[in-house]
This record gives sequence, structure tokens and C-alpha cells, in this order.
Amino acid sequence: MKDTLRKTLLVVDDEEINCAILSNIFAPEYEILTASDGLEALDLIETHRNRLSAVLLDVIMPRLNGIQVLRTLRQQGLLNTIPVFLITADSEGTTMREAYDLGVMDIIFKPVVPYIVRRRVNSVVELFQARKQLSAEVVRQRDQLLLQTQKLAELSMGMVESLSTAIEFRSDESGEHVRRIHDITTYLLTNTPLGQGIPPDQIRLIGIGAITHDVGKISIPDAILNKPGRLTPEEFELMKSHTVKGAELLSKIPQMREHPAYSYAYDIALHHHERWDGKGYPEGLVGDQISIWSQIVSLADVYDALVSKRCYKDALAPKKAMEMILNGECGAFNPLLLDCFQTTEPVLRTFYHLNQEGGTPNG
Amino acid sequence: MDNAVKTALEGVGIDVQEALDRFMGNEALMMRFLTRFPQDLNFSALRKAVDAGDAAQAFTAAHTLKGVVGNLSIHSLFHPVSAMVEDLRRGDLSSASQQMGALEAQYLQVVSALEHLQ
Repeated sequence: MKDTLRKTLLVVDDEEINCAILSNIFAPEYEILTASDGLEALDLIETHRNRLSAVLLDVIMPRLNGIQVLRTLRQQGLLNTIPVFLITADSEGTTMREAYDLGVMDIIFKPVVPYIVRRRVNSVVELFQARKQLSAEVVRQRDQLLLQTQKLAELSMGMVESLSTAIEFRSDESGEHVRRIHDITTYLLTNTPLGQGIPPDQIRLIGIGAITHDVGKISIPDAILNKPGRLTPEEFELMKSHTVKGAELLSKIPQMREHPAYSYAYDIALHHHERWDGKGYPEGLVGDQISIWSQIVSLADVYDALVSKRCYKDALAPKKAMEMILNGECGAFNPLLLDCFQTTEPVLRTFYHLNQEGGTPNG
Repeated sequence: MDNAVKTALEGVGIDVQEALDRFMGNEALMMRFLTRFPQDLNFSALRKAVDAGDAAQAFTAAHTLKGVVGNLSIHSLFHPVSAMVEDLRRGDLSSASQQMGALEAQYLQVVSALEHLQ
């Protein structure tokens, strides 16, 4: 902060009178550093590079001349950040040409006329300062935008979750259900061959899509949703409609339709009751016609229902639940999916233990 | 500044006002460099190099001298020295050497006026 407030100018000239005249011109506005040859100048530039507003550089000097200094500064890439003015007594063509080619900001002739040299140097220094502030501002705004985008994404994720949890509450299930479906789905995709070829950011979106799998239940009457006994065939037909209704509901929310997770959410809501043998609903899709994520959510949904207490049943032991699924008592599943499920079930089981202890599995 | 001093300096070809402007009106600073001019070694270095036929050395001395007299607005020396710098840049030592006498006469006048200030 202090460095940007106090502008610093380096005057490089082997003639004392030149240093004195230039220092005297700029002393009211700048802190002045002086060097009496090129080597000394390079040393000072190296030390003060971050706070130098400009360099006024003589051409003919002992040890290292002005053109040699320019060449070094160009090599170091410093001419883009520190404006260098060549202060020369003669308008000899080749020197000027070379200086401009190397990237000198301007050439000022000696003997100098103070009001001209002041105006030319100050204009460039202000330009460089404005440019620096502008690029810092752009970086600041970009960071702010990124942060806001992230907050928005979190907010919309929170809204989706709240909506889904609210619907789960109607059917007397704990809000943990949607969370667990999300966790089981992303776990299987991340840690088994089921997720092969699916990049992590897409797995994250599939997880979001899994959360809304049951939103269609909002259209199912309480009497059916919370009926303790078996459903009549008519009631069951109505219950099955939660898949189509859910997909329809999602497609009617414009913000949802524009969400990157939308295609997954739609597909999962519609197809999470399809079965591998085509005996599921609503479309009776067979085998690989059902997306792998919808297949995973189906299985997770069944498993979660079995090991949780519901209005129509008690919670089963995980071992028993797994047996029922593997036996085909809950419908047919992809053999690879069953295989992966069987291998990872001991881990999936811990999601429930952790929840009972108040932790959150899978981050 | 004393009017008599100003007149004396202007009498030997020094544009006092222009020099003062260059020092941003800082008269003390200007006078410090003016009164030090007689001790400046560049003129004798120039003369020695020209006498010795060393064009490169003569160029360096003439170039520096041009810078100093330019800064001090000593026009009576600035113009002849500038001409000599261009001759020496081309390596034309004989032309420079021909001008040396006239330059020296002018130089001595300026030095004499400046020494009277002290």
C-alpha cells in the first residue's frame, strides 16, 4: 500500500549536473533514486522493481551504457511494467531506432525543458498506474463473480434438497432418505466399475439428480402415500404415476431446466422404478435401455426402504435386505450392479451407523 | 539575482533565465553548477585528445562538455561544441582541430566571467 502511494523515480546519468536537474524537477512528486552508470541502475531496478514508477536513462555512460541496460531490462521482461525514458543529448538515428525497437517508452532530449519532460513522464506514469489498477480491479471482480457463482450453485442445490426433503416428510420418511440415496449413488459411481468413463463433475451432477428422484410424490394423496396396509390395484396405479409426475414437475421449473443436473434429474425421476427385465414402470425399459444412474438409484432406493422403518413395515437388518435384493425379491437388477452392490454393501451399511451418531457420510 | 551578475553572465553568452527555468527557479542550485564550471575537466580533456589525435577520446569529452554547457544554457559554447561533436562522431579530427582555437577563446571568456563570481 505504502509503495503504491509514494511514487519512485530512478534517474540514471553519469553526469552529476544531469542527475541534479532531473531530480530537482521530479522531487516534489516522487521519491528519487539515482545511479551513475548502467550496472548500478540494474542493481537498483532489481531491488526496487515493485515500486519504480519510471526510469530516466542516459545513453553514454561508463561500465554499462543505456542501450545495454535496455537490452537487459527487455530480457527480464521489465519494460512492460516499468516505463523507461531515454535521456539523450543527440538525435543520432541508430541509437534512437534501437532504443524504440527494444521497447523504450519515449526519448527526451538534453538539455531538458522541465515542463515538457514533466508532462511526458507524468502522463506515462499515470497511464501505467491506471492500467495496473484496472487489471487488479478485473482480478478482484472475477474472484467476486466466481464466489457468487459458487454461492448460487450452493443455494440452488440447497433449494432442490429442501424441496425433496419436504416431500419425503409427507410420506413420514426422515429427510435422511434423500441424503442417503445421494451418498450411495455417488459412492457406487466413484468407487466401482459402474462409474467408468464418468468424470467426477458429472458424478456430482448425478448425485444432485438423485436427490429429486421422488419429487413426483407431491401429487400423491396422503391417504395412499401413508397407507399402512397393501395398496389396491387402483391405488398402486396412482402411486406409480409419481415417476411421470416427478419428471413433469422438474420440466416445468425453468430454473431446474437450465440446471446442469437437469437431464440426470429428469431421467432418474422418470426411470428409478424401471427393472432390468422390463417389468418395471412407467415405460417398461429393458436392460441397458435404462441409464446406469437410474439403475443405481433404483437399487439404492430399494435398499434404503428395506433397512429403514416405514409406515407399512419395520426396518430389516442389512444382511436380510441384501439377501432379498440378491434373490430377486425386489425385482431384477443388472448383474454387474448387483455384483458391485454386494462388494460395497459393508461400506454402504456404515452410512446408516454414521447417521445415527449424527455424522454425515461421504462428506 | 544581482542585476550586475546577470548582465555579466549574459555578456558571455549565458541565457540566465533559460538556465534558471531548467533548475525550476532554484537559483542556489544553478549557481552551484555555474561556479563549478571552471573546474570541469572536459574542456582540457577535449583539447588534449584533439592535440593527441585521439578522435574517440575527443568525441567522449566533447559530448560530455556539450551536455554540461547545454544544461547551463551557455549558448556561446553550446553551438561550437555541438558542431565539433558532429565532426568527431564522423571521425573528422582535422575539422575539429581547426575549430579548437575559436572555442578555446570563447571558453576562456566564460570561465573568466564565472571565476569573477566567486
